[in-house]
Amino acid sequence: MYLSRRNLLQDKTRLALSIAGVALAVLLILVLDGFLTGMNRQITSYLDHSPGSIIVAQEDVVNLLGATSLLPTAVSSEAEAIRGVEEAIPILSQFVILDLHDKKQPAYMVGYDPDQGGGPWELSAGREPRTKREIVFDRILAARHNLKIGDTVEVLDNEFTITGLSNGTTSWMTSYFFLKKTAAEDLLLVPQATSFLMITTSDGADLGYIVQRLNKISGVNALTKTNMAANDLKLFAKIFSMPIKLMVSIAFLVGTMVVGLVIYSATVERQREYGVLKAIGAANHILYQIVLLQALTASLAGAALGTALAYGAGELIMVTRPQFLILYAPADVGWALSAGLGMALLAALFPVRVVAGLAPAEVFRK
Amino acid sequence: MIRLAFRNLFQNKIRLVISVGGVALALLLILSLDAIFTGVERRITVYVKNSSADIFVAQSGVRNLHMASSSMPAFVRSKVKAVPGVDSVSPIQYVSNMVVIGDERNLAYIIGLPEKAAMGGPWRVSAGRSRPDPGEAIIDRTVAKNSGITLGDEVEILGEEFEVVGLTEETASLVNSVAFISEDDFTDLRGDPGTISFLLVKVKDGELPASVARRIQARVRDVTVQTTGEFANQERKVVKDMSTDLITIMNLIGFLIGLAVMALTVYTATLSRRAEYGVLKALGASNRQLYRTVLAQATLSVLIGFLVGLIITLILSFIVDGLGLNMELLVSGVSLVKVAGLSLIIAGFSAILPIRQITGLDPAAVFRGK
Repeated sequence: MYLSRRNLLQDKTRLALSIAGVALAVLLILVLDGFLTGMNRQITSYLDHSPGSIIVAQEDVVNLLGATSLLPTAVSSEAEAIRGVEEAIPILSQFVILDLHDKKQPAYMVGYDPDQGGGPWELSAGREPRTKREIVFDRILAARHNLKIGDTVEVLDNEFTITGLSNGTTSWMTSYFFLKKTAAEDLLLVPQATSFLMITTSDGADLGYIVQRLNKISGVNALTKTNMAANDLKLFAKIFSMPIKLMVSIAFLVGTMVVGLVIYSATVERQREYGVLKAIGAANHILYQIVLLQALTASLAGAALGTALAYGAGELIMVTRPQFLILYAPADVGWALSAGLGMALLAALFPVRVVAGLAPAEVFRK
Repeated sequence: MIRLAFRNLFQNKIRLVISVGGVALALLLILSLDAIFTGVERRITVYVKNSSADIFVAQSGVRNLHMASSSMPAFVRSKVKAVPGVDSVSPIQYVSNMVVIGDERNLAYIIGLPEKAAMGGPWRVSAGRSRPDPGEAIIDRTVAKNSGITLGDEVEILGEEFEVVGLTEETASLVNSVAFISEDDFTDLRGDPGTISFLLVKVKDGELPASVARRIQARVRDVTVQTTGEFANQERKVVKDMSTDLITIMNLIGFLIGLAVMALTVYTATLSRRAEYGVLKALGASNRQLYRTVLAQATLSVLIGFLVGLIITLILSFIVDGLGLNMELLVSGVSLVKVAGLSLIIAGFSAILPIRQITGLDPAAVFRGK
């Protein structure tokens, strides 16, 4: 124990650099994880805040964001005729690419009827659209492009005046914007078309029964909002999980290399002392413990610092790039410490080999 | 002095492996993320580039395929065909949707192809046919393979069952794949027979696509006309503009990690050779000469790390390709220049700490055994 501490603390700069290396690797792992959690929250933000508990989409469509949906025209009245259904709120939605200051910005357009709902759930300024030439724009996207209420934006070669700025409607990939459903119909050249119906139900209504009845309507697929949100999450997880796993694996290896390098150097420097310990009867496992303890101390200190830095970095990223949402769960701290532990165990393999191969007599011959 | 740098670096093989490995992995973070996005950029434009068209005509304001939709009245086709310089015009229907195989839902560009379409169809078919008849679909081979289906099996597209009659190559990216069905099926399932999504135009021999595109734009109302190159550039720009901030953040973290690893390595190596540096100083070596040794050592380590990082990225790209993950890692020249530049900055910064060590070194202390 004493030897471990002395070996580690003998060169404070080296220790500080190794802790910094592990901290940065853990920071990267946590930021990536926080980024994924934040992205998941942003992906379902519309479904989380839109009215109703059931969504009716075109047959075979189970996602809000992944697929375009066009419902047969009579569905709305058929849905409202079902017992327990209070209202079927229509929206016409579609991804579009906006050209803002020579930058391509994917955005999710939601055409809605302000009298029925389905539009922005929180306005930070202004009001909802009243005419076909008015639009509610995401607050953060507007700020990034220096757009204010009263300014105009071009959507599919048509100009709209910003009348409101919405909160909670952005992500790093895309932002929502809202206009009247009739305006969206004109833009997409699909008069009277509806993409999704959001079904509100009366108190105590049996959701399972309503979904079942809705699914009997020809050409539609009804599902709860919870299920649709889960489908969207699954879809995006499929796209992003592989690159993120790759990055996390690399970060883990970097952390391991850093601890390995430091403990290895410290062990090689103290090779003679380990030899003397062996000569006076210390078993290999005692020496392994000394090495492992050093690796554990450096890794866990790095993991703790990395966790603190990750919280700071998350805040910094969100202030400088507000389209990113980085969320940490308490369990992430556990993950960071586990990563640190894993790095320590692997890193100890390098110096353990040095100690294991040490011949006690050698030290006396030198 | 350079020899000394070499010797310092290569004397302890394990330390060399760990330090170079650490730097290589940090640079690999930057290289592989760049490679992932460059791969997506390439794959996302592959349909446009292989469409055989010279010009793309879309709904007014629509400049790309990805995350977009386009709808034009069918009569636009004859108006475009009548423009001087136009050789042939082929409409396609397009929607972003799913290819459903069992429980697997795969995001895809669904392309509705007219019978005997001269443009816009699959360009590399590894099995089966290249044009779908009604009730038939042509899908990406890796999507089919990953879901365990082959020719003759059924997939669900736009809510209908289709028999797979062709398997295509290069039509899947990290984000989505491309699936082809007949135009008749497409309009039955999605739409309005009176509308089309895009028009693919071939110009007459001797005509410049850019000139013909300008002519179409001037003569046909409510459309956006671009050459295939311009259309592909717009597509690439969507990915680039979306990913710029993300890549910047990751590059910064990768850079800091590389810096920490390198600083640690050069510092540790210099520390273990402290006595030798002291002897050199005592023999009359100037501080500047010793700095050069440290800097050479840092630069060498980083350059080896850079090469190893690059080799690992290239190996990873082969592995990923072989695993059928629909992900392509493509190392671009720009990325190489950027990472090489970052490597040199890392080398420069990482030499600061050891240089301070050497500056404060007292030659006499070495002989006193301190």
